[in-house]
Amino acid sequence: MPYALRHGLFAFGVWRRAFDVHAMTLLTRIFWLALRDLTLELRGRTGLLAAVFFLFTMLLILGLALGPNQDELRKAAPGVLWVALAFAGSLLAGRAFGLEVEDNTLDDLLLIPGSREWIYYGKLLFQLLLLLAVGLVLLFLTAGLFYLPLATLPGILVTLVLGSVGYASVSTFYAGMLARLRGREALLPLVLFPVVVPVILASVRATTLLMEGLPLGEVAEWWRLLLVFDVIYLTLCGLLFPYVLEG
Amino acid sequence: MSQSKRMDILTLASLSLGLLTLGIGAFLAFTAPPATEQGHVYRIIFLHVPSAWVGMVSLFVAVAYSILYLARGKAHYDRMATAVIEVALLFLSLTLISGMLWGRPTWGVYWTWEPRLTTFAILLVVYIGYFVVRSAIEDPELRAKASAAISILGAINVPITYMSVKWWRSLHQTQTFDLTTGRSNFDPAMLPALLVNILALSLLFLAFVRIRGLLAERESAKQELSPQAG
Repeated sequence: MPYALRHGLFAFGVWRRAFDVHAMTLLTRIFWLALRDLTLELRGRTGLLAAVFFLFTMLLILGLALGPNQDELRKAAPGVLWVALAFAGSLLAGRAFGLEVEDNTLDDLLLIPGSREWIYYGKLLFQLLLLLAVGLVLLFLTAGLFYLPLATLPGILVTLVLGSVGYASVSTFYAGMLARLRGREALLPLVLFPVVVPVILASVRATTLLMEGLPLGEVAEWWRLLLVFDVIYLTLCGLLFPYVLEG
Repeated sequence: MSQSKRMDILTLASLSLGLLTLGIGAFLAFTAPPATEQGHVYRIIFLHVPSAWVGMVSLFVAVAYSILYLARGKAHYDRMATAVIEVALLFLSLTLISGMLWGRPTWGVYWTWEPRLTTFAILLVVYIGYFVVRSAIEDPELRAKASAAISILGAINVPITYMSVKWWRSLHQTQTFDLTTGRSNFDPAMLPALLVNILALSLLFLAFVRIRGLLAERESAKQELSPQAG
């Protein structure tokens, strides 16, 4: 057995044992919660498939409505990209606590000793990974259907990460708050959008500037704003989460 | 409800003092000397700036009430946060309308997608969303929690709106619709009118919030008495 693989398996075993005896650090808990949810999501696939299919339909409709002029489609691309991601994100947000409620495991999760902030950050990591995966698919779909130039791909990826962190921090927070409410799927976008509108707008602006080929210095102003939103939302949501969670 | 609460002396005093000060402020605003470039159009600033100030500062008061609600869980704090935001929304709408009325003769348009206007529009959307959310959730406790979170998270937009004029000037070299220039070097002859108007609107704000809080308290007391009539 190659060394790297053996070492990897050994590390995995150590992690697992740490998990079993509850002697793990908060970071480990966060990591495991995200990993568990991701595994369940990938096995079930309903959430991800629904989101991607929804996006594809939306892009087709918008492409037909705005096209076929290439310049016009390209102009609309950043807006389309972020509006689509925002809607897909609201579809995915319900998945953060959806399975916990369906399987009646939320109480078990809440019974774990210690503070509850880590539940938020674990779910956030899960949501973030989902959103980034969908965002990547969406990015290439937009590049194909709307002629979004990928020359500044690193810059667009930075924007995608910053925007997704801001979005996921709020969506996870509200998903946790509304977890036990009937009709939460309808309510979630409603409470979510007022708070994430600034993040979406800043991301659209940053993407537009990148697409127009403006110097990074000007784009960085929007990145800085996004970073401010991310830091504030991450901190505040983490602090407020234990208070709004229904125990 | 054994005894219905009435407006107390503080509410009545701030209401009457506010109306009085508003009258003095209006007098000062119309007797202030005309501006060198804009002539008489600039006078709308005596309404625009005070209402913006009171509206935005009060959003931080709402944050304080929202935090108090999440920490203590008393319905009173939730009612007060809602009252503050409701009146703040009124003042912010006043800011928006007066700004548009000023923009038409000065810029030639009622609305333009300039950073300050855009951030202000976002701010309004967030707090209109606050009331949409409140009307959508029936469970009082959940409603209070969800709206408290919006109030706390949404307040980030206040400093951003305030600073937008300075932060993004570099992006808009062609249009310098900077609301502070031409007005920030405020003539000492015009300053008293502005300050008196800020005081007047602050007093009126206090009175409105107290009245709104009282109304909300009566409403919830009534609902507790007859839940099925709700």
